[in-house]
Amino acid sequence: MRGITPRREQGMADSVLAEMVHATGATESRHFAAVKPTIQAYRASWVKLAPYRDGPVNSHRVKVDDTAAMTAQVKAKATELGANLVGVCRLQPHMIDLGSEVPHEFVIACCVAEDYEKVLQGPDAVEEEAMRTYAKCTKIATALAAHVREMGYPAIAHHNGASEVQAIPIFYQVGFGELGRHGSLINEKYGASFRPGFVTTDLPLVEDQPREFGVQDFCMNCNVCQRNCPGDAIPQDHVITHGIKRWLIDLEKCYPYSRLRDEYCHLCVDACPYIVKSHPETYKAFMKERKHVGYKTPKTY
Amino acid sequence: MEKLYVNEIGPDGVVSTVGLFYSRAEAQKIVEMLRANPDRTSHRYEIVEAVRHILSEKQVIQATAGQKE
Repeated sequence: MRGITPRREQGMADSVLAEMVHATGATESRHFAAVKPTIQAYRASWVKLAPYRDGPVNSHRVKVDDTAAMTAQVKAKATELGANLVGVCRLQPHMIDLGSEVPHEFVIACCVAEDYEKVLQGPDAVEEEAMRTYAKCTKIATALAAHVREMGYPAIAHHNGASEVQAIPIFYQVGFGELGRHGSLINEKYGASFRPGFVTTDLPLVEDQPREFGVQDFCMNCNVCQRNCPGDAIPQDHVITHGIKRWLIDLEKCYPYSRLRDEYCHLCVDACPYIVKSHPETYKAFMKERKHVGYKTPKTY
Repeated sequence: MEKLYVNEIGPDGVVSTVGLFYSRAEAQKIVEMLRANPDRTSHRYEIVEAVRHILSEKQVIQATAGQKE
């Protein structure tokens, strides 16, 4: 299946970032150049696992008479490996990168939640937690793909080290949540503080369904992420992609804060009120910090 | 920087925004790649300026720049 969704490259391969960096007279993004050893180690871990995302398929195929039971087994395996949420859907062209082909029928989506408590420790702690979570997702996806291949079905892991699939449309389709104004998917338990890993496969599975619980309506009126964005990069208006309301972040405004500074910027996600149910005290303390530096906080705080 | 939406228009006339791009060359490259997909021959593509959505400054609802970090 051929993909139709453009992927923006990371680092200096991103033409927008490259142009902005070069305009400052530099040759490297300050954020990426300033990366700490712990972060480098996490990044190295997913690069190291990239060659193992695919591999030999067991010639003795497990017969699948009960796809529901097989789906439950695969989800249990992913959970055992450390995933907080696991979902399945049929792969569709908009879930695949433009210019790529994925020869599989299904995708298994895994997510690992970040420790939201890190927000009170500052940007370095938040970044390290994000990279730790990405690294964990990489391990889960790699091991889960190997598990499926062992059952006799082709399977490829997709993660930060190498991927041809798009996280958000898959996460939406498997019912993890809805797209928020800040451009990330919102889950009612984890807010937007989670990271992805995927396995594409031909193993017969039962699909999950999208779930809506009012996020997109909420985002129309909330605006907390928008008010807390130091770059003013979150738009008022939305577009529609495949019938889904979508707010497209203005990278020209985002990158001066998220790429051209040393510090990690994750504020739009950290300020998202959907985390308040699971972390009421931490969210309240964090938003007090935001208020102290001049940003709008929810009225209740 | 220019800000341009690439829109995909389906055979039923439904418009779906592919993405936001920052130069005409980048947007044009995306359209060419989409047009090269034999599964999308019934779709049309347009490149439109994103000025109305993206460049409109929001109202003064947050602190001034001087108060920002």
